This record gives sequence, C-alpha cells and structure tokens, in this order.
Amino acid sequence: MRRMHPKATIFKLRKVLIAMVQIGALYCFALAGNYLAEVLHLNLPGSLIGMGVLFILLHLGIVPYQWVVSGGNWLLAELLLFFIPSVVAVMQYKQLFRQEGLALFLIILIGTVIVMVSSGLAAELILNKRWGKTL
Amino acid sequence: MTEFVGLISIVLTIIFYYGAKALYSRISFVLLSPLLVAPFVLVSCLLTLHISYSSYFVGGKWLTLLLQPAIVAFALPLHKHYETLKKHFPEVILSVIVGVFFALLSSALLGLWAGFAPQIIESLAPRSVTTPLAMTISNNLGGIPSLTAVFVILTGLLGIILGPLLIRLLPLHSPIAKGVLLGTGAHACGTSTALTIGSLEGTIASLAMIFAGLVTIFLSPIIFPLLLKL
Repeated sequence: MRRMHPKATIFKLRKVLIAMVQIGALYCFALAGNYLAEVLHLNLPGSLIGMGVLFILLHLGIVPYQWVVSGGNWLLAELLLFFIPSVVAVMQYKQLFRQEGLALFLIILIGTVIVMVSSGLAAELILNKRWGKTL
Repeated sequence: MTEFVGLISIVLTIIFYYGAKALYSRISFVLLSPLLVAPFVLVSCLLTLHISYSSYFVGGKWLTLLLQPAIVAFALPLHKHYETLKKHFPEVILSVIVGVFFALLSSALLGLWAGFAPQIIESLAPRSVTTPLAMTISNNLGGIPSLTAVFVILTGLLGIILGPLLIRLLPLHSPIAKGVLLGTGAHACGTSTALTIGSLEGTIASLAMIFAGLVTIFLSPIIFPLLLKL
C-alpha cells in the first residue's frame, strides 16, 4: 500500500473530523425540529422542520454555508446507505408478500409509473406554456 | 453477543454498500443499484446464518438514524440553487400537486380493484413520499405505519429502475421535468438518482420530494376518504 505523507494524513483526518462535527450539527437541527414539532403540536417530522430552519438560517447568512457543507454533502452523496437497513426490513414481511406479493408489486409498479408520467409531463407542459418551446 | 452482531451488521452493511457502489460505477445497469445489491447480499447472509432482523437492526438503526441529518442537509442544495428554485417554483408546485393527486387516485383504485382491506390501501397511499412523512400520513389515514415504510422503500427501489427508463421514453427535455418526475415519484431514492444526472435535476428533485410530502399531508385526509368511496 502506498504510504501517505504524514502531513497529508493529518490534513485528511482533519477533514473527516470536520465533516463528523458538521453531521453532528445537522443532527442537532433534526433534534430541535423534533422538539419544535412536539411543543407546537405540528404533524411534521422533526428532520423536515430542521431542514426548513437551516434553510432560513443559511439564507439570512446567520449560518455560513461553509459550516455545514462538507458533512452535508457527504450525507447527500451516501444517501442510499442509510436506506439499506429499511430495505433489509422487507424480509420481515415474508408472509404478506407470499400471499399478496404479486398484487402489491403490480400496484406499486403501476402506481409509480402513473405518478412519474403525470408529474413529469405536467412539469414539461407547464414549462413550455410559461417559457415557450425554446427551454 | 447482541452488540457484537450489531457491530458486525454495521460493518458488513457499509462494506457491501461501498462494494456495490464500486460495481455500479463500472456497470451502470439499473438492477445493479447499490440499494438492490447490498440488501440482497445482506438478507442472504442473515438467512444463511439464522440472524433475525431485530438482531441486525441493533446495528442497522445507527445508519437509519443518519437519515435525519441527511434530510436536514437537503437545505444545502435548496440554498445553493435558491434563484433557480424561485424562478421555477410555479411549475414545480403545480406538477407535484398533479403527481400527488394521481398517487392517491391510483392507490385507491388499484387497491380496491385488488380487493385489499382499507387498512392496506391506506398504508399504500403515501408510498411516494419520504419515509418519516409517509409514516405520519399513514397513521393519520388509519393505515399501518411500519407497513407503509416497506411500501415506501419498494417504491424507491422501483423508482430507481423506472425513473431513468421513463425519462428516456417520455418527451421530456428540461432538467426541471426530470427532477420533478424523480422527486415526486420516488422520494429521496429518486432524488439521489437525479443528483447523478445533474445538480439542477437533483435540486429540483429534492424540492419536488419535499413538496410532495407537504402536499400529501394536506391533501390526503381531504381526498383519500372520498376516493375510497368510489
């Protein structure tokens, strides 16, 4: 294995640590969101409220973009990793899928095609209406 | 022992994920998506070693927990592309409303046609929306939130496969329409696919995903009981 220069290693380690602290900070926004949802009796997940709050703070310049960008971009780039345990959870529903699997699969398949086609075409149509064909 | 299985679960999930990702970067075939390959290998391991899902989830829950800061992190692309979002706000919100309406309509009609119990249909209704929102909506409608979580993830899987295919088949030219299609149809899974197409597609998809969740929260309790009476 190629050995890295000690200075480069420290630099890399520093970057990882900064990203981890930023992920912790982003998690605090979600926790604060959970708290707000409970106190204000909002029927919304805390992470979404946290996103809204962070967006406003970024927009007003209270939280600089640089403070959360490396951790945030890592989370967005590896988004699928965090879904894997939920996909593995499907194994618990063997019984349901053995009985109704095909019907459920078809409904989700047809339903997803309908949602995608309708929303995609609607967007293209409205865009053409509003901005002309040139877009 | 449980902690040990939990720790191994996290390590294996991460290894299989990065392995599947490396494979996918060489062969970009939709059925080789890391979201299909990694869980497939994991489930095979768990079944062969007779490890239950609850033992796996002792470790797995730490990865699921990271979804919360990840949702918060969507504020970053929204902030970065604020001007574009402002410019295209009307078309995004309108087309998302169209998509959500068809999501609820198709769930109700197809569910009734298949002869499912109302509780299953109500669990199916919010499946296009990101998991935490979908579970909340399912609960409001009278569905089973944990079952909804399974339908959401299946929608995400199918969306990753169908999305790029439909984009090729449909006469869609603008990155806005592609982003709307992926974000409305397959929540965060579609958004991550959109991010691989382009940064604008990804941003619009994340916006569409958020709007789809909010529109479904407000529309479903009004529309869905009426649709079920059809």
